[in-house]
Amino acid sequence: MMKRPLVFGLCLFWALVTLFPLYWTFVTSLKPPTAVNGGPTYIPYVDFMPTLQAYIDAFSGIRGDFINPFINSALIAVSATALSVTFGTMAAYALVRFEFRIRLGSGLIFAAVAIGGFLLFNETFGFSRAQAMGLAFLAALPACLIANRLPLPGPVLGNKDVLFWFVSQRMFPPIVTAFALFLLYSEIGKEGFKLLDSYLGMVLCYTAFSIPIVVWLMRDFLATLPVEIEEAALVDDVPRMRIFFEIVVPMARPGLIATSLITLAFIWNEFLFSLLLTTSNWQTLPILLAGQNSYRGDEWWAISVAAMFGIAPMIVVAMLLAKLMRSGLTLGGIR
Amino acid sequence: MAYVQLQGVSKAFDDVTVIPALDLEIADTEFVVLVGPSGCGKTTTLRMIAGLEAASGGVIKIGERAVTDLRPGLRNCAMVFQNYALYPHMTVADNIGYGMKVRRMPKEEIAGRIAEAARILGLEPYLDRRPKQLSGGQRQRVAIGRAIVRQPDVFLFDEPLSNLDAKLRIEMRTEIKNLHRRLNSTMVYVTHDQVEAMTMADRVVVMNEGRIEQAADPITLYERPANTFVAAFIGAPSMNFVPATVIAKGEGLALRLDDGSELGIPRERWDRYGAHKDRPVTFGLRPEHNAGGAEGEAVITMTARAIEPLGPHTLLIGEAAGRGYTAQVDSHFPAAPDQQVPISLDMTKMHVFDPENGRAL
Repeated sequence: MMKRPLVFGLCLFWALVTLFPLYWTFVTSLKPPTAVNGGPTYIPYVDFMPTLQAYIDAFSGIRGDFINPFINSALIAVSATALSVTFGTMAAYALVRFEFRIRLGSGLIFAAVAIGGFLLFNETFGFSRAQAMGLAFLAALPACLIANRLPLPGPVLGNKDVLFWFVSQRMFPPIVTAFALFLLYSEIGKEGFKLLDSYLGMVLCYTAFSIPIVVWLMRDFLATLPVEIEEAALVDDVPRMRIFFEIVVPMARPGLIATSLITLAFIWNEFLFSLLLTTSNWQTLPILLAGQNSYRGDEWWAISVAAMFGIAPMIVVAMLLAKLMRSGLTLGGIR
Repeated sequence: MAYVQLQGVSKAFDDVTVIPALDLEIADTEFVVLVGPSGCGKTTTLRMIAGLEAASGGVIKIGERAVTDLRPGLRNCAMVFQNYALYPHMTVADNIGYGMKVRRMPKEEIAGRIAEAARILGLEPYLDRRPKQLSGGQRQRVAIGRAIVRQPDVFLFDEPLSNLDAKLRIEMRTEIKNLHRRLNSTMVYVTHDQVEAMTMADRVVVMNEGRIEQAADPITLYERPANTFVAAFIGAPSMNFVPATVIAKGEGLALRLDDGSELGIPRERWDRYGAHKDRPVTFGLRPEHNAGGAEGEAVITMTARAIEPLGPHTLLIGEAAGRGYTAQVDSHFPAAPDQQVPISLDMTKMHVFDPENGRAL
């Protein structure tokens, strides 16, 4: 009985600690320059007179274009989240319900044919780099699929290894792939297919980098669903695709929402890829925010307004999805 | 409606063979129950008929069709699962109608079949509810409804009543049996409960370690078990087994137990057991074929360790001839724990098994 007030007090304290930066950003965005430069002020109307001047400045475009990066970020984040959750969930479902046997040898053959083919097409036959890459990939894919059917020596990998491969894509720091991706995009761009600083390029890049997380999260979630429900549908001659979309997806709703939220936040906040792969047209909000204090110096009220643009949509989305998730959790399986 | 035939069907998981070649024929409109202890392969057999588990060898036929390599949906089976396996996000009506909707049946026909199934199963008031809002018995009825509207060649039940409480289980037992009579279709039913097996089946298939120990109608299983496994598995409490030797006694035969007591074998069995004279055998007798007191012709002495009054009769659990022994006696038979009491055996109900391989002699 003595414990409850103590726990409540600690929770309250921690809530204040986590909420304070949000509050600070919010009040700072309402401050006039004098209230910032003259030392700390905390409470509007008591310490200082709040003003909407910083917001008006932001919308009038004095401090750079906010609207376009905001729309860019929203479009890219929503598209990439939708794509990665869709395909990642499908991959996770396959890993949960089907058994894969992949020979390590066939993976090595893929690598050998892809690299060898690239060199062959590029250096010997004189194709451009992007063309050689495409051709080598087209050769390597069937080669490894056929090789996997042959009794190659060496270990056979299972579902756990496939999952680890997915997750391993996120183990090394993103900078490792960022430059390679930049080169890949610029080579493909030379063929007239623009990926750098484009909507498609950004969506593809973020989809590729979100899928491992989606696969990892959704695999654990889908594994908890009772298989008999799907078996009942199988016996009833429901095609796999309809089982997935009409039975598995509705049952997995809470997991899908949570995963979408995590993916969306990741893409919304992502800085490095956007910095390297975009220049002006498809610049996202984090790049704009990072550039703020070099624009006209440390104008914290204006920077806070920009930060509010970045934070507010995520808070709204989180609240909406959390509500959806709670209503989904009451559904669950029937035991 | 169709018969089901398993010819040399086997199942192995990696290197472990769970079902060696198994032959089983289920006649058209027959109600067959597969029964056995857990891990005996009964559920695997059922899942192989449904196509949810691929057979490692052999041929499965439903009707005239060889279905061994067909996917589950094309076998025209309907399956009812232990944990109901209802679609949690659909109403009862949608649960029952979903398969038909996927198969693009006309809307009126779907509605008609749902209404018919709901009427048969008493689900009419619940059609708009979600599975979560139903009791266990109602959920299983919805699962059965989903099976009925399929109008399958074969109904497959995988321990459908195991999740229900005892009272409901007895009700549903009768309901499924009535359903079988009404639909007049082939049903294969898996359970580990021998009472369920005996009460529902036209024919019971007793399985153990992937093999069929005996397949027969319930009364035959009870009266003429093929081996000690079936004898022990069917009937509750379980049959008593006592080592004995067949000896000549007078002009006939008798059994001598380890404690020296001799039990006369009835005249009509003399021919049958004559060949086993002077050989060791396993003598089996069901608890209900005993009576308290020394009034009978064959009497043994039993040490009662526990006394379980059940109302209509009382069970004495203890030892006789150095073995565990259970006897069913009259409720008013005077016995106290650790007391030696005389028990009369009804030798016309005796069983004799080969002690080596357990087969009935």
